[in-house]
Amino acid sequence: MRKLLMKEMTLSASLLSYLFIGFSLMFFIPGYPILCGAFFVTLGLFQSFQNIRETNDIVFSVLLPIAKKDVVKGKYLFVCLIELSSLLVMFIITLFRMTILKDVPVYLQNTLMNANFFALGGAFLIFGLFNWIFVGGFFKTAYKIGKPFVHFMIMTALLIILFETLHHIPSLAALNAFGFDHFALQLSLLSIGIMMYCLMTLLSDRQACNTFEKIDL
Amino acid sequence: MSLLTVKHLNKSYPTFRLNDVSFTLEAGRIIGFVGRNGAGKTTTIKSLLNFIHPDSGEIIYFGNSLYDHEAEVKGRIGYSGNMSWYPRKKLKEIVQITKQFYKNYDEEAYQKYLKMFHLDENKTPLELSDGMKVKFNLLLALSHHAEILILDEPTSGLDPFSRDELLKVLKALRQEGVAILFSTHIISDVEKCADDLLYISKGKIIVNLPLNAFYKDYVRDQETLEETLLRLEERL
Repeated sequence: MRKLLMKEMTLSASLLSYLFIGFSLMFFIPGYPILCGAFFVTLGLFQSFQNIRETNDIVFSVLLPIAKKDVVKGKYLFVCLIELSSLLVMFIITLFRMTILKDVPVYLQNTLMNANFFALGGAFLIFGLFNWIFVGGFFKTAYKIGKPFVHFMIMTALLIILFETLHHIPSLAALNAFGFDHFALQLSLLSIGIMMYCLMTLLSDRQACNTFEKIDL
Repeated sequence: MSLLTVKHLNKSYPTFRLNDVSFTLEAGRIIGFVGRNGAGKTTTIKSLLNFIHPDSGEIIYFGNSLYDHEAEVKGRIGYSGNMSWYPRKKLKEIVQITKQFYKNYDEEAYQKYLKMFHLDENKTPLELSDGMKVKFNLLLALSHHAEILILDEPTSGLDPFSRDELLKVLKALRQEGVAILFSTHIISDVEKCADDLLYISKGKIIVNLPLNAFYKDYVRDQETLEETLLRLEERL
């Protein structure tokens, strides 16, 4: 798997996949729907899949002395690496905003979603959706990238709207907690996000391996 | 010794059917796999590489089923078609990654064929001619001592000089015991280097014979191999 990951990182990946990790820094921006940062990271990953299609990467990979399903696993591994790197950046920023930046007026007056563990759980959920809808959808044909990405975009847009709406409902205002307020709630929502991410990724990977075995290249 | 055995391969598409394809490929022999465009050559080759799934049939490499020993089999074969990979990456970058997957990668063999094929490692596939792309794919295959080469129309689009050069390379590899399945629709290439003839038409194998036997049984006086095959094709 190490060799496969190296191949993905050096031959298959688009440079934009790495550069777009920088969009995780959007977690610093007040007055902006911060979960869009996670969506922009997936745009970078989308570029890699475009690269994969245009460079005949799938055919090249299938010719390598590996099982066909390992081609799929290599792609998931790379996608998860980029996502987890982005989440690490988002996590560090969230910690900053929950501690030393928690009383900064510009963040206190922020009408949009605050960067807290609930938001981080939302980012996990968006990446889980990407793996499930887009990556899983790609491996149904191993060349179509438009349709699964449009489906993913629609779902993500709805999810971001939902996340930005929920904390405006008075009984759910705790979702927009500052610092370590309502910490147990924040932590449990983050845990749900992580669980959903793992579940969607693992199920999608398993299904994509099966689908990819059956399709004709 | 049979390195590749294909038994009763069938694959149906809405407008085409690969029908009961069977043949064997032996060490140190070249099979000329001929047929008109759309006859089923590429479909057969794609099945051999596990790109497509036959509806039925067996593909046995080195005595083992392709599907049960996929990774091991692919480590011992090489493929070259009219497709290139990673057009904007330098050849050396592609090789650097690819070689890590092969247990029997041989740097000495790589350097030998790199010189023989006059390939510049610092070029990208985009900068290579079609003939050089084929040579690069062969280089990748030969650097891990592939025992079987599967070549899908490698001489199509090449000038006569490059074709001749490539055929010489294939003949030299045959001397080393490499088994070669050489798909082409350029019949003169088959005449120059093949030991066996596999002729496919409308998805069905029509001829599967040593080339000498084909000449004896099918080719009329004053007739070229191409004319004989055209005559057979007209009858079908």
